[in-house]
Amino acid sequence: MKLKHSLFTRRQFLNGLLGGWLGGLAALFFYPVLRFVFPPEREPEQVLLPLTDYGSLEPGAIKNFAWGSKPGMLKKTAGGELIAFVSVCTHLDCNVAYLPEQKKFFCACHDGWYDENGVNIGGPPPKPLRRLVVTPEGENLVVRPEGAA
Amino acid sequence: MNIRGAARETWAWLDSRLGIQAVMDFLKHKPIPRNRHTPWMYTGSLILIFFGIQVLTGIMLAFYYRPTLEEANKSVGEIMTKVPLGWIIRSVHSWSATFMIAIVFVHLLAIWVLKSYRKPREMTWMSGALLLVFTLAFGFTGYLLPWDALSLAATKVGTDIPRSIPLIGAWGTKFLRGGEDVSGDTLSRFFSFHVSVLPLCLLAALALHVYLIQKLGMSLPVGADEEAEARRSLPFWPNFVYREAVLWLVFIGILVTIAVFLPPTLGKAADLMAPAPEGIKPEWYFLFLFQTLKIFPAKILFLTGDTVAVLLILLAAVLFFFLPLIDNKPAGRKGKIITVLAFLLIVYAVAMSVWSLQTPSKPEADRIIGAPQNIKESTGIYVFLAGIWLSVGVLIYLLRLKIKETDRLLEAGYFSSDKK
Repeated sequence: MKLKHSLFTRRQFLNGLLGGWLGGLAALFFYPVLRFVFPPEREPEQVLLPLTDYGSLEPGAIKNFAWGSKPGMLKKTAGGELIAFVSVCTHLDCNVAYLPEQKKFFCACHDGWYDENGVNIGGPPPKPLRRLVVTPEGENLVVRPEGAA
Repeated sequence: MNIRGAARETWAWLDSRLGIQAVMDFLKHKPIPRNRHTPWMYTGSLILIFFGIQVLTGIMLAFYYRPTLEEANKSVGEIMTKVPLGWIIRSVHSWSATFMIAIVFVHLLAIWVLKSYRKPREMTWMSGALLLVFTLAFGFTGYLLPWDALSLAATKVGTDIPRSIPLIGAWGTKFLRGGEDVSGDTLSRFFSFHVSVLPLCLLAALALHVYLIQKLGMSLPVGADEEAEARRSLPFWPNFVYREAVLWLVFIGILVTIAVFLPPTLGKAADLMAPAPEGIKPEWYFLFLFQTLKIFPAKILFLTGDTVAVLLILLAAVLFFFLPLIDNKPAGRKGKIITVLAFLLIVYAVAMSVWSLQTPSKPEADRIIGAPQNIKESTGIYVFLAGIWLSVGVLIYLLRLKIKETDRLLEAGYFSSDKK
């Protein structure tokens, strides 16, 4: 059946409604599935490094720690200041190494170079290494993301 | 070229290669008998729906589950407390298993009582019996995976049962456990059974089962007038599918609602050295077998009670598998004894299960209970449930319109012009 000036038949209209609602229901189920499959980023709010282990760094030396599931590096600058990096290359997520003789961070995956302050100086890396904030608090060094106060 | 024209051409391209139209024509001509036994014919597709839900939620759970002695219980705990909506996904997986097995029982008892297994459908029954075994094995292996005290005890008992079978029994127990005792190796093994061996077995048996149903067509009740039934019958597509869809939607709604309000809990990691918890019980579908084993005396003549019980259960299983060959009467005969046997089995299973439930089980106190993480999540869940039930309501209304429309078309002979 089709009304005189109608663009579609009753059956097409009904099929469209049915298909549309079914699609809507499917979308409704799709949402919790997506939530489940993509859990939120679980970056640590802070990481505690005991001073007994990490306090005695020589100037220019590096010590590794775990920043959640990523490697982190604690470095004492020549000036005696403590700085920390997420030691993951900003190019394609490889873990970088610190080469003490050259005072550079090196990413072996695509030959990327960073200077001793983590600034990208050669190869494909587009950005400096991510910096973390280190503050001494009591028995520990507390490492937090930048901007987390 | 407009969109409709493009769609039609794509369809034609696909159809000329895949032969979809041939399948659709077959389904249009597949008659579903319309009589007072038709409601039982909805159970098959409902089982498939729940199996599909099991596959999807099972794949999702396997994303986060770790099948090792140290991590299994912990990872299930994380799914329930850390992964977004993980407790609901686990709950749906657990409840869907229960629904699936319950409907499997209804399905097989209906076929038993209606004698639909008679010639030429003997092998449909046998493939169905295999499907039952695989389905129960899914339940049994899945029960161990959360690795808490209850699942460990149930698996210890369950895998010890084959030992009572003379000659090959000890070997069977060793095969199931991956050693003399239930250990981390049993867990790896059960995980492998649950996610790869059983799905392959079940899909193979299912393919045979569904193929046979298409090849042989739906059975008619004992003593039916074939011509009258043929005149009354509905085409599978579209008339019957629209009717089935109503039931699928209702059951999916019920499943999700129950899963949200009654999620399964999780006990502490199983301790291989701890004594079994008091009043342990298997899942409800094994209760009657569990109670059967319980009531046998320690010794009967020169055999142990367990051996007698297990041999009797095995004999019953073999008789069950070969039921179509035992009751091979012509399709017209009623077969009252077989019907009575089915009812006796129901009474026995229900009575044994109820008896078994008389011993109260004492779950340990601090079990992990899945719950919304915050007010935002719980609000979201209520909105979600409301959305589902609203959609189900609207869809049922639309499906009723489609059913009326397709039934009118059927009566007007729209489908019969190209009937074979």
